[in-house]
Amino acid sequence: MRETVRRSVGEERWQGLGVSDGIVLGRVLRIHNGARHIYRATLEESDIEREVRRWHAAVRLARRQLLKIKELAERELGAEQAYIFDAHLLMLEDQKLLGDVESYIKLERANAEWAVKVVGDRILAVYAEIKDNYLRERGSDIEDVMQRILVALSGGGPVARKLTEDAVVVSEDLMPSAVAELDFKYARAIATDAGGWTSHTAIIARGLGIPAVVGLRDFYRRARTGDPVVVDAFTGEVILHPSKETVEHYKSLSVDIRRAGLTVAETATGPLRTEDGLDILLRANVELPAEFEGLERYGARGVGLYRSEFLVSSRGRMPSEDEQCAAYEEIARLSGQDGATIRLFDLGGDKSPGSSSDAERNPALGLRAIRFSLRHEDDLRTQVRAILRAAAHGRLSIVLPMISDLTDVREARRIIDEEREALGKRGIPTGQIRTGAMIEVPAAVLMADRIAREVDFFSLGTNDLVQYLLAVDRGNDEVADWFRSLHPSVLVSIKRTIDAARAASIPAVVCGEMASTPAYAAILIGLGATELSMTISAIPRVRRMVAGLNAGKAKEIAEECLACETADDVEELVRVRLGEGWPHLFPPKSLPAPKSRE
Amino acid sequence: MVECWVVVVNRLGLHARAASQVVRLASRFHSTIKLEREDGSAVADAKSILSVLMLAAARGTRLRATAEGVDEREALDSLCKLFAEGFGEEAEK
Repeated sequence: MRETVRRSVGEERWQGLGVSDGIVLGRVLRIHNGARHIYRATLEESDIEREVRRWHAAVRLARRQLLKIKELAERELGAEQAYIFDAHLLMLEDQKLLGDVESYIKLERANAEWAVKVVGDRILAVYAEIKDNYLRERGSDIEDVMQRILVALSGGGPVARKLTEDAVVVSEDLMPSAVAELDFKYARAIATDAGGWTSHTAIIARGLGIPAVVGLRDFYRRARTGDPVVVDAFTGEVILHPSKETVEHYKSLSVDIRRAGLTVAETATGPLRTEDGLDILLRANVELPAEFEGLERYGARGVGLYRSEFLVSSRGRMPSEDEQCAAYEEIARLSGQDGATIRLFDLGGDKSPGSSSDAERNPALGLRAIRFSLRHEDDLRTQVRAILRAAAHGRLSIVLPMISDLTDVREARRIIDEEREALGKRGIPTGQIRTGAMIEVPAAVLMADRIAREVDFFSLGTNDLVQYLLAVDRGNDEVADWFRSLHPSVLVSIKRTIDAARAASIPAVVCGEMASTPAYAAILIGLGATELSMTISAIPRVRRMVAGLNAGKAKEIAEECLACETADDVEELVRVRLGEGWPHLFPPKSLPAPKSRE
Repeated sequence: MVECWVVVVNRLGLHARAASQVVRLASRFHSTIKLEREDGSAVADAKSILSVLMLAAARGTRLRATAEGVDEREALDSLCKLFAEGFGEEAEK
């Protein structure tokens, strides 16, 4: 079903997962950073010295590149993201590595590439044995450094220089340094064989508004640099050597989309209403500093979800109270009157940076988010103090992630109150904050009416809600067909949560990826949502859709969806009703694909 | 040769950033500087980041630090201080 399908001579199609929307016609630029085929050559005695010099020259070249990348990363992604390149630089200077490779070349009369591979694999094997998760993952940094040296050995220069204006970056999997060194002004899209929704590549691509399709399996192997290619991240389709008809089709589409995207963003940033007068608030989900500047440009009404754990993952350690306070003040400042909602660290499980405990068997159901924070109370208190202090300078809310029981809400609120009081006693100014609950665990949906009485707002995290409700791991390609955001049970849960919020007179913000897809957003509005929070780059297209939508009509459609029996039925209904009702708002490519199940 | 015992007190252990600091500091001295796990299961050259990371020293790990060379005393003192300060993390606690 997800295999390559030959449509016409020359044209080849791959189906992957679109993780950052958009359509791009461009040319392939292959970036090699997966496993290379390294061959062993035996050198003449007389060539050994030259090989050693070639090795030293490659290390110097790699070092110069890394220094540039570090500078670029500091600028594009923030200083905190760049620190890992310090460690990369030290690895390049590491006498153990340099010495081992050099003596391998000499003793085995081997070519430098082979020596790097042997020594690198040996080090990686040791790392693979390390019990500590965080340190074990440093193996990928070593791999990254090894790849850089291998590229340098083949005389490869920095990627940015090679980027043409229509470059579609194609890779097996993009490593952090490769992502950081992409010159985003020119990279038009990214297509990778590996990766999922939450991969580093996907997050950065979304933040910077470049279309990206991941999970293409063997696309990298088949694509050649310079090949014409179409990347359709709406459908997750990538087409190599597109036929004339395909190109024409996409050209017309991509013009529409570009127009819908940027021009709307530039002109329309005021209050937003549906055609029939319902006020809708569009807010931004942010994580990287590179995204902050987009808040105003894209007309976001404040930050609906700030993923604070980026402060930890980018440092590889817990940030201090002052560091956190500075970050939260910055968010508060940028959000202005509309305010920002800070999600407490969603750490633990697979996101833990330095957990020394053995890997959990089932991290998604493990000690993570609020559970992790309550277990590490000192860190929780530090974060709460930082937010309370920052709230003296702006409008901030706290949202508690992964609430499954009111006990967790009460415990967290008690800690917030205690810290506020303690800061007050020390004469440190604090601000008012509202406290909300993330509704993303099915138990919380079922208990929403009772939770609503004890919090100031709800944030509906649809990504996790879909994952937990349908018991589908969203990072697992094998079950991607079962991950259905429009499953009737998902819609019933969203409706139930929004209704509970309304009954308790508290706001409910929908902040999963669903909100960023116009067709889904229309259904969310039909289910009663009036506040949507999404990736910044998605705001213009959702805005355009909302302005043309009739909320009353959307409600009728949503009610029909609620009565459906299967996800297929809902998708078909959405496709037909939205497509026929507002063909100008929902071109076919923006709707669920018609089912042709064999 | 001089030696002392250090304890990894920072929360995340000898991770990439902390290890980078150890290596940068050790590289400033002429002496040979080594870090050894208490149980003797691993010895690291403090001037090699790959080697230091391989100690896999989590929080609470005790390490024997040794220095040998012309500036051994100074080297060891600086190293112990770096460990005691927890690599500048969680400064306000």
